[in-house]
Amino acid sequence: MSRSVSGGIGSGGSRTIKARTLPSKRKARRAWAAVAIVVLAIGFLLYKGLGNSLVYFRTASGAWKDRAQLGTSTFRLEGVVVPGTIHTTGTGVDFAVESSNVSVQVHDTANPPQLFQPNIPVVLVGHFSGNIFLSTQIMVKHSSSYIAAHPNRVATVNGKKL
Amino acid sequence: MESNRYKWVRRVLGVVALLLVAATVVLGLWVTPPDVVQGQLVRLIYVHPPVAWVAYLAYGVTSIGSILYLWKRTRNIKWDLLAASSAEVGVIFTALTLITGSIWGKPAWGVWWTWDARLTTTALLFVLYLGYLALRRVPTDSHRRAVRSGIAGLVAFVDVPIVHQSVVWWRTLHQSATVLNATLSPKIHGEMAMTLLLGFISFTFVYAWMLMHRYQIATMEQRALDVELEQLIEERQYEPEAGSALAQ
Repeated sequence: MSRSVSGGIGSGGSRTIKARTLPSKRKARRAWAAVAIVVLAIGFLLYKGLGNSLVYFRTASGAWKDRAQLGTSTFRLEGVVVPGTIHTTGTGVDFAVESSNVSVQVHDTANPPQLFQPNIPVVLVGHFSGNIFLSTQIMVKHSSSYIAAHPNRVATVNGKKL
Repeated sequence: MESNRYKWVRRVLGVVALLLVAATVVLGLWVTPPDVVQGQLVRLIYVHPPVAWVAYLAYGVTSIGSILYLWKRTRNIKWDLLAASSAEVGVIFTALTLITGSIWGKPAWGVWWTWDARLTTTALLFVLYLGYLALRRVPTDSHRRAVRSGIAGLVAFVDVPIVHQSVVWWRTLHQSATVLNATLSPKIHGEMAMTLLLGFISFTFVYAWMLMHRYQIATMEQRALDVELEQLIEERQYEPEAGSALAQ
Protein backbone atom coordinates (compact mmCIF):
# COMPACT_ATOMS: atom_id res chain seq x y z
CA MET A 1 0.00 0.00 0.00
CA SER A 2 1.26 3.43 -0.79
CA ARG A 3 1.85 6.23 1.63
CA SER A 4 0.60 9.58 0.60
CA VAL A 5 -0.19 13.06 1.76
CA SER A 6 -2.72 14.00 -0.84
CA GLY A 7 -4.75 15.36 2.04
CA GLY A 8 -4.95 14.65 5.69
CA ILE A 9 -1.46 14.79 7.23
CA GLY A 10 -1.62 16.73 10.49
CA SER A 11 -1.48 20.44 11.07
CA GLY A 12 2.16 20.89 12.12
CA GLY A 13 5.27 21.23 9.99
CA SER A 14 7.02 24.11 8.36
CA ARG A 15 4.94 26.64 6.53
CA THR A 16 6.43 25.92 3.12
CA ILE A 17 5.67 22.22 3.30
CA LYS A 18 2.25 22.84 4.75
CA ALA A 19 1.42 25.19 1.90
CA ARG A 20 2.76 22.81 -0.69
CA THR A 21 1.28 19.52 0.46
CA LEU A 22 -1.89 20.07 2.42
CA PRO A 23 -5.05 20.61 0.44
CA SER A 24 -6.85 23.78 1.25
CA LYS A 25 -10.45 23.70 2.36
CA ARG A 26 -11.19 25.58 -0.82
CA LYS A 27 -9.82 22.73 -2.91
CA ALA A 28 -11.89 20.22 -1.00
CA ARG A 29 -15.00 22.35 -1.38
CA ARG A 30 -14.42 22.61 -5.12
CA ALA A 31 -14.00 18.85 -5.44
CA TRP A 32 -17.18 18.14 -3.49
CA ALA A 33 -19.01 20.79 -5.54
CA ALA A 34 -17.93 18.95 -8.72
CA VAL A 35 -19.23 15.67 -7.25
CA ALA A 36 -22.52 17.38 -6.34
CA ILE A 37 -22.89 18.73 -9.91
CA VAL A 38 -22.30 15.24 -11.28
CA VAL A 39 -24.91 13.78 -8.91
CA LEU A 40 -27.40 16.43 -10.08
CA ALA A 41 -26.57 15.60 -13.72
CA ILE A 42 -27.14 11.88 -13.04
CA GLY A 43 -30.49 12.74 -11.44
CA PHE A 44 -31.46 14.84 -14.45
CA LEU A 45 -30.52 12.09 -16.92
CA LEU A 46 -32.43 9.46 -14.94
CA TYR A 47 -35.47 11.75 -14.80
CA LYS A 48 -35.33 12.38 -18.57
CA GLY A 49 -34.57 8.74 -19.26
CA LEU A 50 -37.45 7.38 -17.21
CA GLY A 51 -39.78 9.98 -18.72
CA ASN A 52 -38.82 9.44 -22.36
CA SER A 53 -36.75 6.33 -22.97
CA LEU A 54 -38.81 3.54 -21.46
CA VAL A 55 -41.59 4.01 -24.00
CA TYR A 56 -39.78 6.08 -26.60
CA PHE A 57 -42.44 5.57 -29.28
CA ARG A 58 -45.72 3.83 -29.95
CA THR A 59 -46.06 1.76 -33.08
CA ALA A 60 -48.58 2.96 -35.67
CA SER A 61 -50.77 -0.10 -35.05
CA GLY A 62 -50.67 0.30 -31.24
CA ALA A 63 -51.37 4.02 -31.39
CA TRP A 64 -54.24 3.51 -33.86
CA LYS A 65 -55.83 1.03 -31.48
CA ASP A 66 -55.43 3.42 -28.52
CA ARG A 67 -56.25 6.65 -30.38
CA ALA A 68 -59.41 7.33 -28.38
CA GLN A 69 -57.45 7.03 -25.17
CA LEU A 70 -54.54 9.11 -26.52
CA GLY A 71 -56.87 11.96 -27.53
CA THR A 72 -54.86 15.00 -28.62
CA SER A 73 -51.86 14.31 -26.37
CA THR A 74 -48.43 14.59 -28.00
CA PHE A 75 -46.40 11.41 -28.37
CA ARG A 76 -43.96 9.67 -30.74
CA LEU A 77 -45.37 7.37 -33.40
CA GLU A 78 -43.32 4.83 -35.36
CA GLY A 79 -44.04 3.21 -38.69
CA VAL A 80 -42.67 2.54 -42.15
CA VAL A 81 -43.41 5.13 -44.84
CA VAL A 82 -45.87 3.58 -47.30
CA PRO A 83 -44.63 3.85 -50.92
CA GLY A 84 -46.78 5.99 -53.21
CA THR A 85 -48.34 8.01 -50.37
CA ILE A 86 -45.82 10.87 -50.16
CA HIS A 87 -47.24 14.22 -51.34
CA THR A 88 -45.42 17.48 -50.77
CA THR A 89 -47.70 20.27 -49.54
CA GLY A 90 -47.15 23.98 -49.15
CA THR A 91 -46.42 23.57 -45.44
CA GLY A 92 -44.75 20.16 -45.33
CA VAL A 93 -45.55 16.66 -46.53
CA ASP A 94 -48.46 14.21 -46.37
CA PHE A 95 -47.87 10.47 -46.28
CA ALA A 96 -48.94 7.27 -44.57
CA VAL A 97 -47.01 5.05 -42.16
CA GLU A 98 -47.66 1.39 -41.54
CA SER A 99 -46.94 -1.21 -38.88
CA SER A 100 -48.48 -4.68 -38.46
CA ASN A 101 -50.65 -4.04 -41.52
CA VAL A 102 -52.24 -0.96 -39.93
CA SER A 103 -51.82 2.27 -41.86
CA VAL A 104 -52.03 5.76 -40.35
CA GLN A 105 -52.38 8.90 -42.45
CA VAL A 106 -49.89 11.64 -41.51
CA HIS A 107 -49.96 15.37 -42.13
CA ASP A 108 -46.52 16.83 -41.40
CA THR A 109 -45.65 20.51 -41.05
CA ALA A 110 -41.86 20.20 -40.64
CA ASN A 111 -39.09 19.69 -43.16
CA PRO A 112 -38.36 15.96 -43.52
CA PRO A 113 -34.72 14.85 -42.99
CA GLN A 114 -32.63 14.07 -46.07
CA LEU A 115 -33.03 10.30 -45.68
CA PHE A 116 -36.83 10.51 -45.66
CA GLN A 117 -38.12 8.22 -48.43
CA PRO A 118 -40.61 5.40 -49.10
CA ASN A 119 -40.14 2.16 -47.15
CA ILE A 120 -37.97 3.77 -44.45
CA PRO A 121 -38.99 3.56 -40.78
CA VAL A 122 -39.72 6.94 -39.19
CA VAL A 123 -40.52 8.23 -35.73
CA LEU A 124 -42.95 11.16 -35.75
CA VAL A 125 -43.65 13.64 -32.97
CA GLY A 126 -47.23 14.90 -32.91
CA HIS A 127 -50.82 14.03 -32.02
CA PHE A 128 -54.00 12.69 -33.50
CA SER A 129 -56.61 14.99 -34.93
CA GLY A 130 -59.49 12.72 -35.77
CA ASN A 131 -58.05 9.88 -37.85
CA ILE A 132 -55.04 11.89 -39.01
CA PHE A 133 -51.75 12.16 -37.15
CA LEU A 134 -50.50 15.75 -37.18
CA SER A 135 -46.72 15.61 -37.08
CA THR A 136 -44.40 18.45 -36.13
CA GLN A 137 -41.16 16.48 -36.42
CA ILE A 138 -39.97 13.57 -38.53
CA MET A 139 -37.02 11.45 -37.41
CA VAL A 140 -35.68 8.73 -39.69
CA LYS A 141 -34.97 5.41 -38.02
CA HIS A 142 -32.61 3.75 -40.44
CA SER A 143 -31.75 0.06 -40.22
CA SER A 144 -28.51 -1.47 -38.94
CA SER A 145 -27.75 -3.02 -42.33
CA TYR A 146 -25.12 -1.38 -44.52
CA ILE A 147 -25.23 -2.24 -48.20
CA ALA A 148 -22.76 -0.86 -50.72
CA ALA A 149 -24.50 1.37 -53.24
CA HIS A 150 -22.30 0.02 -56.07
CA PRO A 151 -20.93 -3.35 -54.93
CA ASN A 152 -19.02 -3.87 -58.18
CA ARG A 153 -17.58 -0.39 -58.44
CA VAL A 154 -15.40 1.01 -55.70
CA ALA A 155 -14.44 4.63 -55.35
CA THR A 156 -11.21 5.75 -56.95
CA VAL A 157 -8.11 7.46 -55.67
CA ASN A 158 -6.49 9.94 -58.09
CA GLY A 159 -8.81 8.76 -60.83
CA LYS A 160 -7.50 5.22 -60.80
CA LYS A 161 -9.71 2.27 -60.09
CA LEU A 162 -8.43 0.21 -57.16
CA MET B 1 12.13 5.80 -13.64
CA GLU B 2 10.55 4.82 -16.92
CA SER B 3 12.22 1.71 -18.31
CA ASN B 4 13.64 1.76 -21.81
CA ARG B 5 11.45 -1.18 -22.73
CA TYR B 6 8.28 0.64 -21.63
CA LYS B 7 9.33 3.69 -23.61
CA TRP B 8 10.08 1.56 -26.68
CA VAL B 9 6.74 -0.27 -26.52
CA ARG B 10 4.91 3.02 -26.13
CA ARG B 11 6.66 4.56 -29.13
CA VAL B 12 5.98 1.52 -31.32
CA LEU B 13 2.34 1.57 -30.24
CA GLY B 14 2.11 5.24 -31.15
CA VAL B 15 3.56 4.73 -34.62
CA VAL B 16 1.38 1.66 -35.31
CA ALA B 17 -1.72 3.51 -34.06
CA LEU B 18 -0.96 6.47 -36.33
CA LEU B 19 -0.48 4.25 -39.38
CA LEU B 20 -3.65 2.28 -38.66
CA VAL B 21 -5.74 5.42 -38.18
CA ALA B 22 -4.32 6.84 -41.43
CA ALA B 23 -5.26 3.60 -43.24
CA THR B 24 -8.77 3.76 -41.75
CA VAL B 25 -9.16 7.37 -42.93
CA VAL B 26 -8.01 6.55 -46.48
CA LEU B 27 -10.20 3.44 -46.76
CA GLY B 28 -13.14 5.06 -45.00
CA LEU B 29 -13.16 8.26 -47.01
CA TRP B 30 -11.96 7.25 -50.46
CA VAL B 31 -11.94 3.51 -51.05
CA THR B 32 -15.16 2.15 -49.53
CA PRO B 33 -18.42 2.69 -51.43
CA PRO B 34 -21.36 4.77 -50.21
CA ASP B 35 -24.32 3.02 -48.60
CA VAL B 36 -27.46 2.33 -50.61
CA VAL B 37 -29.65 4.24 -48.11
CA GLN B 38 -27.32 6.58 -46.24
CA GLY B 39 -25.05 7.48 -49.13
CA GLN B 40 -21.85 9.24 -47.98
CA LEU B 41 -23.13 9.51 -44.39
CA VAL B 42 -22.15 5.88 -43.87
CA ARG B 43 -18.49 6.89 -43.60
CA LEU B 44 -19.07 7.85 -39.98
CA ILE B 45 -19.48 4.15 -39.19
CA TYR B 46 -15.70 3.76 -39.40
CA VAL B 47 -15.30 6.12 -36.44
CA HIS B 48 -18.44 6.09 -34.30
CA PRO B 49 -18.76 2.38 -33.30
CA PRO B 50 -14.96 1.98 -32.85
CA VAL B 51 -14.73 4.91 -30.41
CA ALA B 52 -17.76 3.55 -28.53
CA TRP B 53 -16.04 0.15 -28.33
CA VAL B 54 -12.90 1.78 -26.93
CA ALA B 55 -14.98 3.51 -24.25
CA TYR B 56 -16.40 0.08 -23.22
CA LEU B 57 -12.89 -1.38 -23.23
CA ALA B 58 -11.48 1.48 -21.16
CA TYR B 59 -14.17 1.08 -18.52
CA GLY B 60 -13.60 -2.68 -18.54
CA VAL B 61 -9.93 -2.06 -17.72
CA THR B 62 -11.00 0.41 -15.01
CA SER B 63 -13.19 -2.31 -13.49
CA ILE B 64 -10.42 -4.90 -13.58
CA GLY B 65 -7.97 -2.43 -11.99
CA SER B 66 -10.57 -1.57 -9.34
CA ILE B 67 -11.22 -5.23 -8.50
CA LEU B 68 -7.49 -5.97 -8.27
CA TYR B 69 -7.04 -3.07 -5.84
CA LEU B 70 -10.12 -3.84 -3.76
CA TRP B 71 -9.12 -7.50 -3.45
CA LYS B 72 -6.64 -7.55 -0.57
CA ARG B 73 -4.48 -10.33 -2.02
CA THR B 74 -3.64 -8.31 -5.13
CA ARG B 75 -3.81 -4.84 -3.58
CA ASN B 76 -1.28 -2.47 -5.09
CA ILE B 77 -1.60 1.25 -5.78
CA LYS B 78 -0.58 0.56 -9.38
CA TRP B 79 -3.96 -1.09 -10.04
CA ASP B 80 -5.74 2.01 -8.80
CA LEU B 81 -3.59 4.24 -11.01
CA LEU B 82 -4.26 1.99 -13.99
CA ALA B 83 -8.01 2.10 -13.29
CA ALA B 84 -7.99 5.90 -13.04
CA SER B 85 -5.83 6.34 -16.16
CA SER B 86 -8.14 4.10 -18.17
CA ALA B 87 -11.24 5.91 -16.90
CA GLU B 88 -9.79 9.22 -18.02
CA VAL B 89 -9.14 7.88 -21.54
CA GLY B 90 -12.60 6.26 -21.47
CA VAL B 91 -14.26 9.60 -20.72
CA ILE B 92 -12.53 11.14 -23.76
CA PHE B 93 -13.76 8.30 -25.97
CA THR B 94 -17.28 8.49 -24.54
CA ALA B 95 -17.32 12.21 -25.35
CA LEU B 96 -16.15 11.34 -28.87
CA THR B 97 -18.93 8.74 -29.11
CA LEU B 98 -21.54 11.34 -28.19
CA ILE B 99 -20.07 13.96 -30.54
CA THR B 100 -19.68 11.66 -33.58
CA GLY B 101 -23.14 10.18 -32.90
CA SER B 102 -24.63 13.65 -32.84
CA ILE B 103 -22.84 14.63 -36.08
CA TRP B 104 -24.20 11.46 -37.70
CA GLY B 105 -27.66 11.85 -36.16
CA LYS B 106 -28.44 15.29 -37.52
CA PRO B 107 -28.35 14.41 -41.25
CA ALA B 108 -29.45 10.78 -40.83
CA TRP B 109 -32.21 11.04 -38.22
CA GLY B 110 -32.92 14.75 -38.55
CA VAL B 111 -31.98 15.62 -34.93
CA TRP B 112 -28.75 16.25 -33.04
CA TRP B 113 -30.13 14.60 -29.93
CA THR B 114 -33.15 12.68 -28.70
CA TRP B 115 -33.96 11.11 -25.34
CA ASP B 116 -34.00 7.50 -26.47
CA ALA B 117 -32.52 4.76 -24.29
CA ARG B 118 -29.22 4.36 -26.18
CA LEU B 119 -28.39 8.07 -26.15
CA THR B 120 -29.58 8.63 -22.59
CA THR B 121 -27.65 5.67 -21.13
CA THR B 122 -24.51 6.74 -23.04
CA ALA B 123 -24.80 10.27 -21.64
CA LEU B 124 -25.30 8.68 -18.23
CA LEU B 125 -22.14 6.63 -18.73
CA PHE B 126 -20.21 9.79 -19.53
CA VAL B 127 -21.49 11.58 -16.44
CA LEU B 128 -20.94 8.53 -14.19
CA TYR B 129 -17.27 8.37 -15.08
CA LEU B 130 -16.94 12.15 -14.80
CA GLY B 131 -18.24 11.56 -11.28
CA TYR B 132 -15.61 8.87 -10.79
CA LEU B 133 -12.90 11.36 -11.80
CA ALA B 134 -14.43 14.13 -9.66
CA LEU B 135 -14.47 11.79 -6.68
CA ARG B 136 -10.76 11.16 -7.15
CA ARG B 137 -10.13 14.91 -6.81
CA VAL B 138 -11.59 14.97 -3.30
CA PRO B 139 -8.56 15.30 -1.00
CA THR B 140 -7.86 12.18 1.04
CA ASP B 141 -5.09 9.61 1.44
CA SER B 142 -4.20 7.30 -1.44
CA HIS B 143 -5.74 4.18 0.06
CA ARG B 144 -9.08 5.74 0.86
CA ARG B 145 -9.19 7.37 -2.57
CA ALA B 146 -8.44 4.04 -4.25
CA VAL B 147 -11.14 2.16 -2.29
CA ARG B 148 -13.71 4.89 -2.79
CA SER B 149 -13.08 5.25 -6.51
CA GLY B 150 -12.72 1.48 -6.97
CA ILE B 151 -16.26 0.99 -5.68
CA ALA B 152 -17.50 3.95 -7.77
CA GLY B 153 -15.80 2.51 -10.86
CA LEU B 154 -17.49 -0.84 -10.42
CA VAL B 155 -20.90 0.73 -9.83
CA ALA B 156 -20.50 2.90 -12.94
CA PHE B 157 -19.57 -0.12 -15.05
CA VAL B 158 -23.07 -1.55 -14.53
CA ASP B 159 -24.18 0.98 -17.14
CA VAL B 160 -21.93 -0.47 -19.88
CA PRO B 161 -24.03 -3.61 -20.61
CA ILE B 162 -27.16 -1.48 -20.23
CA VAL B 163 -25.87 0.88 -22.95
CA HIS B 164 -25.09 -2.04 -25.24
CA GLN B 165 -28.42 -3.81 -24.67
CA SER B 166 -30.54 -0.66 -24.62
CA VAL B 167 -31.43 -1.06 -28.31
CA VAL B 168 -32.70 -4.56 -27.54
CA TRP B 169 -34.47 -3.92 -24.26
CA TRP B 170 -36.26 -0.70 -25.27
CA ARG B 171 -37.67 0.93 -28.38
CA THR B 172 -35.08 3.38 -29.64
CA LEU B 173 -34.40 5.68 -32.55
CA HIS B 174 -30.85 4.35 -32.58
CA GLN B 175 -30.48 1.30 -34.79
CA SER B 176 -29.65 -2.12 -33.33
CA ALA B 177 -26.12 -3.54 -33.37
CA THR B 178 -24.62 -4.22 -36.79
CA VAL B 179 -21.80 -6.56 -35.73
CA LEU B 180 -22.40 -7.67 -32.13
CA ASN B 181 -26.07 -8.53 -32.72
CA ALA B 182 -28.05 -11.45 -31.30
CA THR B 183 -27.13 -13.82 -34.15
CA LEU B 184 -23.55 -12.52 -34.41
CA SER B 185 -24.02 -12.09 -38.14
CA PRO B 186 -22.62 -8.74 -39.31
CA LYS B 187 -25.09 -6.91 -41.53
CA ILE B 188 -22.52 -5.00 -43.55
CA HIS B 189 -20.91 -5.49 -46.96
CA GLY B 190 -17.39 -6.92 -47.36
CA GLU B 191 -15.02 -3.98 -47.79
CA MET B 192 -17.14 -1.81 -45.51
CA ALA B 193 -16.92 -4.57 -42.88
CA MET B 194 -13.15 -4.84 -43.31
CA THR B 195 -12.71 -1.07 -42.92
CA LEU B 196 -14.94 -1.13 -39.86
CA LEU B 197 -12.79 -3.91 -38.39
CA LEU B 198 -9.70 -1.83 -39.14
CA GLY B 199 -11.34 1.09 -37.36
CA PHE B 200 -11.89 -1.07 -34.27
CA ILE B 201 -8.25 -2.19 -34.31
CA SER B 202 -6.76 1.24 -34.96
CA PHE B 203 -8.72 3.01 -32.21
CA THR B 204 -7.84 0.19 -29.81
CA PHE B 205 -4.17 0.92 -30.51
CA VAL B 206 -4.80 4.63 -29.95
CA TYR B 207 -6.39 3.73 -26.60
CA ALA B 208 -3.42 1.55 -25.59
CA TRP B 209 -0.99 4.33 -26.49
CA MET B 210 -2.98 6.97 -24.57
CA LEU B 211 -3.33 4.65 -21.58
CA MET B 212 0.41 4.04 -21.42
CA HIS B 213 1.08 7.78 -21.46
CA ARG B 214 -1.54 8.55 -18.83
CA TYR B 215 -0.47 5.70 -16.60
CA GLN B 216 3.13 6.93 -16.76
CA ILE B 217 2.04 10.40 -15.65
CA ALA B 218 -0.07 8.91 -12.85
CA THR B 219 2.84 6.89 -11.47
CA MET B 220 5.08 9.98 -11.60
CA GLU B 221 2.45 12.00 -9.71
CA GLN B 222 2.21 9.24 -7.12
CA ARG B 223 6.00 9.12 -6.77
CA ALA B 224 6.10 12.90 -6.27
CA LEU B 225 3.53 12.57 -3.48
CA ASP B 226 5.56 9.83 -1.82
CA VAL B 227 8.71 11.98 -1.95
CA GLU B 228 6.80 14.89 -0.44
CA LEU B 229 5.58 12.64 2.35
CA GLU B 230 9.10 11.51 3.12
CA GLN B 231 10.30 15.14 3.21
CA LEU B 232 7.44 16.07 5.48
CA ILE B 233 8.22 13.25 7.92
CA GLU B 234 11.91 14.11 7.86
CA GLU B 235 11.30 17.80 8.61
CA ARG B 236 8.94 16.90 11.42
CA GLN B 237 11.59 14.76 13.05
CA TYR B 238 13.92 17.76 13.36
CA GLU B 239 11.20 20.17 14.41
CA PRO B 240 11.45 21.42 18.05
CA GLU B 241 8.56 20.39 20.29
CA ALA B 242 5.96 23.14 20.61
CA GLY B 243 6.00 22.92 24.44
CA SER B 244 9.78 23.10 24.75
CA ALA B 245 9.92 26.09 22.42
CA LEU B 246 7.48 27.96 24.65
CA ALA B 247 9.46 27.06 27.79
CA GLN B 248 12.56 28.66 26.35
